Amino acid sequence: MSKFNFPFVKETNELSNLRKEVREFITTCINNDEFTPSPDAWVFSADPSFSKKLGSKGWLGMSFPKEYGGHQRTALERYVVTEELLSSGAPVAAHWIADRQSGSQILRYGNEKQKSSIIPRITAGKCFFAIGMSEPDSGSDLASVKTKATKTKNGWKLEGRKIWSTGAHLAHYMIVLARTSSASEKNRHEGLSQFLVDLSLPNVKITGIPDMTGQRHFNETLFDNVELSDDSLLGEEGKGWKQVVGELALERSGPERFLSHFTLLDSFINEFRNSLIHSGTKIVGKLISEIQTLRRMSFSVASMLQNDESPETQAAFVKELGNKFEKMMIETLREFSNIVPLHEWPNQLQNLFEDATLRIPSNSLRGGTTEIMKGIIARQLGLR
Amino acid sequence: MIEELEIILETTSKILQKHVNHSLRQNIVSENTDILNLWNDIEKNGLPKISVKEKFGGYEIPFFSILPLIKIVNNHGTPLPLSETILSNYILSESDINPPNGIVTFTTNTKNLQIKNNMISGELLSVPYLNLTKNLLIVHELNNVKKAILIDEINGEIINKKNFLAEPRYNIKVENLNIAEIRPIKNSIDFNFLGAILRSAQMIGAMEKILDLSINYCSERKQFGRALSKFQAIQHQISEMAVELSASSAALSTITELGLGEKNSNDAAILKIRAGFAAGKIIAISHQVHGAIGFTKEYELSYFTKNLNSWRNDFGNESFWEEFLGKKFLEKNNKNLWEYLT
Repeated sequence: MSKFNFPFVKETNELSNLRKEVREFITTCINNDEFTPSPDAWVFSADPSFSKKLGSKGWLGMSFPKEYGGHQRTALERYVVTEELLSSGAPVAAHWIADRQSGSQILRYGNEKQKSSIIPRITAGKCFFAIGMSEPDSGSDLASVKTKATKTKNGWKLEGRKIWSTGAHLAHYMIVLARTSSASEKNRHEGLSQFLVDLSLPNVKITGIPDMTGQRHFNETLFDNVELSDDSLLGEEGKGWKQVVGELALERSGPERFLSHFTLLDSFINEFRNSLIHSGTKIVGKLISEIQTLRRMSFSVASMLQNDESPETQAAFVKELGNKFEKMMIETLREFSNIVPLHEWPNQLQNLFEDATLRIPSNSLRGGTTEIMKGIIARQLGLR
Repeated sequence: MIEELEIILETTSKILQKHVNHSLRQNIVSENTDILNLWNDIEKNGLPKISVKEKFGGYEIPFFSILPLIKIVNNHGTPLPLSETILSNYILSESDINPPNGIVTFTTNTKNLQIKNNMISGELLSVPYLNLTKNLLIVHELNNVKKAILIDEINGEIINKKNFLAEPRYNIKVENLNIAEIRPIKNSIDFNFLGAILRSAQMIGAMEKILDLSINYCSERKQFGRALSKFQAIQHQISEMAVELSASSAALSTITELGLGEKNSNDAAILKIRAGFAAGKIIAISHQVHGAIGFTKEYELSYFTKNLNSWRNDFGNESFWEEFLGKKFLEKNNKNLWEYLT
């Protein structure tokens, strides 16, 4: 088990000060009616002007190098900022993917032109990304992707379709995982490559897919023989699988895996504090113990990322525990309705609760299902 | 000090590997020379007094730093109260009492306890391993002051011997028993917290062992023509064990690093909640994947799961600490939750 340690990392005074600074900024925004806190905001609540504002505060691309407009701060500083944004339900969806994973992916694998043309725009909050992994026939089985990139005289020709691409209709780029040669019989992870695709190119067609809440964030993105320049290849040809696995560690380990519905919990406690003192201390204690453990583990993964370790498995632990916690939290609040019936809750709280109930099935699907997380862990335990 | 501790951990592992096996665990009596030999080796290496002040002949390594040692001791399923002795001796030493040699066990559970003329009478409950030692630390509140009471010649009427769970536990009635030492315990030391932390570290050591046993068993045992570990249903169950265990270990390392202070008493509560909850899951899953063999006395799994059942109820179960956390937050401040958590 020693390889699944989550070493303790202390929140220094500097980090606490940064936390305060972000919190004050958010309070001002809320007081000025710049946004209304909303649930699952990192998926559903996009506001490009808010993203730009965060960019000018220096809170996007925080760990990116200065030469590309970054701030050369630590992954721990970024962690603190994201926690504050998530816990307040701020509208961060527009830049979320670019800041969380695409930027780092480009810095790690991109060529000079890719870096200098895109990274400064990400840090400014002006360039947004979508994820190009899932396809109609490739969900959990990512290695089975059929989107194909073929070498041409001037570059590549991209053909295929990606699905569930959150925010693609607002995004400027997508990092697309595509097949560049067929898989070998022994290793289906061979022959995959990542491409940096400008979504404004001709023959890219983005169609919205309303989800069960009726909102649009999902898209299907069709690449109908899109001509890509030679330098659209991200990283090395044929090394796409290894690259994408690293990208997923960034995607899975963050506090969005357990703070997506924190605004609901916060409002719930503020509303029912007095009843909870009499009949809910135990449930509040349980929730506190869960959140604090998850924060502790996720912060530890941030420090591993900072140290250039590869915490893919630890990320799976955080995601799995975080997803379970969020589902449990909503069930716990539901059970409380035997003390104060749901129809007597204030309207806004009722709406938040119902909204969360509606959205919660997706938390253990997006970013890799529970089954995939458990599979990753089982492999590390030597069971597969 | 870290280097010193690492050497101690290594030596301890060697000693335990040499002495501890499953048949030893089935004969925990003071007449068993193998038990005596094991204790002698442990004592020769100074382990019982690892957190005792130097002036009392100890290593004076802070109690929270030695939690990895507690983990190792229980990972090996050591059928001796070394964990209890280490904590008892630490409390004694901090209360300026010179800890005795040999095994020291403890209890905070008492009924009708009376102290008169330096003698004690009443019932002492759920005392671990009383069959192996005459030394007992009683932590008891007298006139609003917590006292450490050391008995070095325990003697009385055994009113119940519990051995459903792995470790022997006794309820004993004592009358006019001589007190060897009695002193107030520092305010900064809360035995209930320390006990909860000790039991959590013990549980985590045992749970690591159970996970290893389960992985090994499922990799070797074949049914339907393949190893159990090749079945996805089994893989997912074992993954769940690992997930819960990792959460407990994370909570433990917070305490190992920070110790226990005013500011982080929540961390101790969180640790006991996580470890107790993980224990419940891990007991159920490990027995499920082991099948009938895990339910036998001969196979060592049950030694560890029985101990988990015992320890998760000591020093407050999950509900106790959840209430503690919830009350503390709801009653004692008006901050909103996020401010409180950060």
